[in-house]
Amino acid sequence: MPAPPPDDQALIAASQRGDAAALDALARTHQARVYGFAMRMCRNAEDAKDILQDTFLGMVRSIRDFRAESAFSTWLFRIASNACLKKRRRGVHDPTPAQELSLDALMPRPDADGRPPEIPDWSEDAERALLRGELGGKLEAAIDLLPREYRIVLLLRDVEGLSAEETAEALDLSVAAVKSRLHRARVFVRRELAGYFQDTGRPPAARG
Amino acid sequence: MDKHQHEGTPHGPGAPMPCRALFERLSEYVDGELPEELCHHIREHLDGCGPCVAFAHTLKKTADLCRRLPAASMPPEVAADFQRFLTACLSQRKAP
Repeated sequence: MPAPPPDDQALIAASQRGDAAALDALARTHQARVYGFAMRMCRNAEDAKDILQDTFLGMVRSIRDFRAESAFSTWLFRIASNACLKKRRRGVHDPTPAQELSLDALMPRPDADGRPPEIPDWSEDAERALLRGELGGKLEAAIDLLPREYRIVLLLRDVEGLSAEETAEALDLSVAAVKSRLHRARVFVRRELAGYFQDTGRPPAARG
Repeated sequence: MDKHQHEGTPHGPGAPMPCRALFERLSEYVDGELPEELCHHIREHLDGCGPCVAFAHTLKKTADLCRRLPAASMPPEVAADFQRFLTACLSQRKAP
């Protein structure tokens, strides 16, 4: 039986000693995750390829500065996030320019007659729609509509699974700012999904 | 989200937290990041407020759905291009 591949810790230590094969292996281990994150950030294959290359160029250049007090993935997402945000700043077209999401604007309001808002609980419908493969595209589209400062926080926290502290470290934000942006981003995406369930009444495959 | 509670007016004894105040902290609540005392006030509010319960459920579900998004795949041609880039980049690198 072949020996198991060396884990990140061994690869990092060897990379920090200048071992090119270890750097190569480290990049291969993380390339798909970084590419996926970049695609979700910019929705453009060419930009995502550039971000992937910029991220690993940054990794190769600064691997010796990596300190074990951070998770390696947090450190790598910090480089990737900077590459994404720089890329969007240089971009000619940005479909989601910087904008503040206001909680007051996102909060369901009473109707004109002062009746409390109707808020259907579609969480079970969502589960069924997800299992039927109907919801993934809607969710990705809703995330795409987020202004990028909010999208990047939601992607790191909820999609990539970083903690609030790790996300704050990756984005150079306070933990409070991460929590505030994450909440607004989730409320925004929830509203988009609610619209989908409201428009359809029920998910398409459940109708008729 | 009751009409009276909505703008932040307490709506009766024993349930002093208005919908707006709960709404602000709901992600931290569903993530289990709030102190127990505040959680208690939130649970108290949720006991009597159907719209906020539905909102909390669907907000939690939204975060849960994001966590379960499949990993984006990397097309083989992108992986091949990247491998060429990496090989070139590592071969040009100065020894430490």
